[in-house]
Amino acid sequence: MNLEAKYFSIIIYSKHGNYKYQLQIALNKKQAERASVNILANNIYLAIITRVEFIDGHKGNLMNKFRRAVMWVGLALIILLLFVSVYGAFIGAERAQSFINRLPLMVYWIAFLLLLIVALSVFRRLVRVPGLLLIHLGCVFILAGSMWASEAGHKLQKKLFGIDKITKGQMEIHEGHSDNRVLDDNMQIKELPFSVELKDFQIEYYKPAYLYVQTRDGQGWKIPVEIGSEFPLGPEFGTVKILRTFENFKVTIEDGNRKIIDDPQPGLNPALEVQITSPQGQVTTKYVFERFGGHTRPEDKLALSYRRVISDYISQLRIIKDERIVAEKDIEVNHPLSFGGYRFYQHSYDAEAGQYTVLMVVSDTGVGVVFAGCWMLCIGVFWHMWLRHIVGFDVGSSFVHITARIKTKNK
Amino acid sequence: MEIKYTIQGLLIYATIAAYLCAFVTSLLRRAKTGHILYLFGFAIAVFSFGYRWYHVRHVPLQNLFEVFLCLGMIYPVSLFCRRFLRVGGYSADMLIGVIVLFPAGFVFNAEPQQLPPALQSWLFTPHVAVYMLSYIIMAKATFHAISQLAGKGPKPNENLLPPEQATYRIICVGFPLLTLGLVLGSYWGKLAWGDYWGWDPKELWSLASWLVYVGYFHFRYMFGKKHPRINSFWAIAGMAAIIITLLWVNLSRLFPGLHSYA
Ligand code: HEM
Repeated sequence: MNLEAKYFSIIIYSKHGNYKYQLQIALNKKQAERASVNILANNIYLAIITRVEFIDGHKGNLMNKFRRAVMWVGLALIILLLFVSVYGAFIGAERAQSFINRLPLMVYWIAFLLLLIVALSVFRRLVRVPGLLLIHLGCVFILAGSMWASEAGHKLQKKLFGIDKITKGQMEIHEGHSDNRVLDDNMQIKELPFSVELKDFQIEYYKPAYLYVQTRDGQGWKIPVEIGSEFPLGPEFGTVKILRTFENFKVTIEDGNRKIIDDPQPGLNPALEVQITSPQGQVTTKYVFERFGGHTRPEDKLALSYRRVISDYISQLRIIKDERIVAEKDIEVNHPLSFGGYRFYQHSYDAEAGQYTVLMVVSDTGVGVVFAGCWMLCIGVFWHMWLRHIVGFDVGSSFVHITARIKTKNK
Repeated sequence: MEIKYTIQGLLIYATIAAYLCAFVTSLLRRAKTGHILYLFGFAIAVFSFGYRWYHVRHVPLQNLFEVFLCLGMIYPVSLFCRRFLRVGGYSADMLIGVIVLFPAGFVFNAEPQQLPPALQSWLFTPHVAVYMLSYIIMAKATFHAISQLAGKGPKPNENLLPPEQATYRIICVGFPLLTLGLVLGSYWGKLAWGDYWGWDPKELWSLASWLVYVGYFHFRYMFGKKHPRINSFWAIAGMAAIIITLLWVNLSRLFPGLHSYA
């Protein structure tokens, strides 16, 4: 018997006529396996070949036309956003940000949100199929949450509920001082209802740091900074030895003599004292500065530079409210502090002397909604595209679903 | 173009050679030998990735050299698609392996770098790894989309899906990963910079690639039966957007005046 020939199909139209389910009844397991989903029921292998299909051009009623219009507009909005993203990528982050916050884009976001809500109310499958529901509802949450979290959203909350929060801004705090002033994104100074104190600010570096030595013809060495160890540069250039490291290199005059010190006063001028011994035994001492590299004189055979890689910035913060310490945290990049509806991020620092930190202050309004939406979206796509096929949940349910539909059709 | 005279470089070239041999052998209809060579290449690719890991002492997904090294370990994707999705294309996968390892071997700088503070986060590995996995899966989908346009398909005796359906299935595997990558990225952005979305070019390109696939799903749902070839164009456009996303930092140098981030 030719197994291939023993397929026969049933096509079922849904109540509204805009969906088509195509079933195939197969006679054995092998045939059923060829179909994308298959179910064994009373020894008949039921194979759903085309899960669902939207019938474009089907002569439907008004509702159908409306659904088609919704799909069309949805696709158009997706394509439009695609072009906006590409355009935004070409103009750079700052201009993209202001472009996106302009009125036409605001109208766009609202339209997209409304369309998603309309889609959820007119496509029954978007509500019935758990994955599709989570995906589209997740998008609704993300859009709504972002609007609520935006500057316009904050203005609206002020108008409606009298909640006056700073959307986003920066604070500069010096070591040992506290402050509650925030310079917001519109360059206005606002005040927080509590103050933030910077106990200490630290920069940490990867160890070892490196001294880079380069010859004029491009030969180079990368030498780990270890005091006292001698490093050979070959028969042509002799050896190099690191004698001292400085955090804050300074030259002072004492009794008419120049003296080089590592100044404990605030300041940042990291340097190395390096001794170069030429193959002829001639010894020269050089200072290599991290921040002022690259000065070579014409007679120099070697160019030296000192590089350290920053491993961390740490601001030790305290929140002070009514003269009491109410929170305390050492914040780092990736480890912000949350307090009083705001989050404080390590944003920048005093590159000259390491004396102050710059924090980014962001209101946390709406952020929870956005992330709830993100996780719904993620769980939705994983459920819809992976898990339901693995656990086989949907196979049964769509079978029940379809038989239910057959029954309603017969009534 | 630069040849890497290092153990790392040697490992990459060995992988490329194994993949190429596997490709040629399978074109000569020696599927078994091809498969063994492919597996052998995969073993070197894994070793090479592990070697790099040991060498830099953090998960090597920091720069383009390292991520392309990671993309070179494509074999499990082929195996998965064959076993569970009824989707073939082994020889194309070998070629994809060669294509992604080529820039790692000859173009990108392999100088190890230390992780800057912003990258020191538990999100670093999952965010990048999930993206790389989805990218390699989407690359495979693109191959099937191209075969559909070229009118090629599996032979009836192979028990494999026709290319249009194969493309759809692979994209259904890759899309959740792409979504997760995007969400982890924005979550990380929130932790590191205080913003879950900063509108910078790399983010926008990744959004654009994601949207192409969202467009693909809706288009396929609406017109998929009527215009199956256009489905494939969507899939190819998705890959194009992914390539631009991945290489934007390098490509943006071609557009003067643009600033960019890694
Ligand atoms: C804005 C308007 C949108 C409309 C009108 C819309 C409508 C729909 C409809 C009607 C379906 C088909 C459901 C079915 O299989 O019966 C669908 C599927 C889907 N939608 Fe949307 N959607 C929109 C936006 C989005 C967005 C922003 C996403 C982003 C993730 C998305 C992701 C998906 C996915 C992943 C599927 C499943 C496709 C498949 O199973 O092949 N949709 N959508």
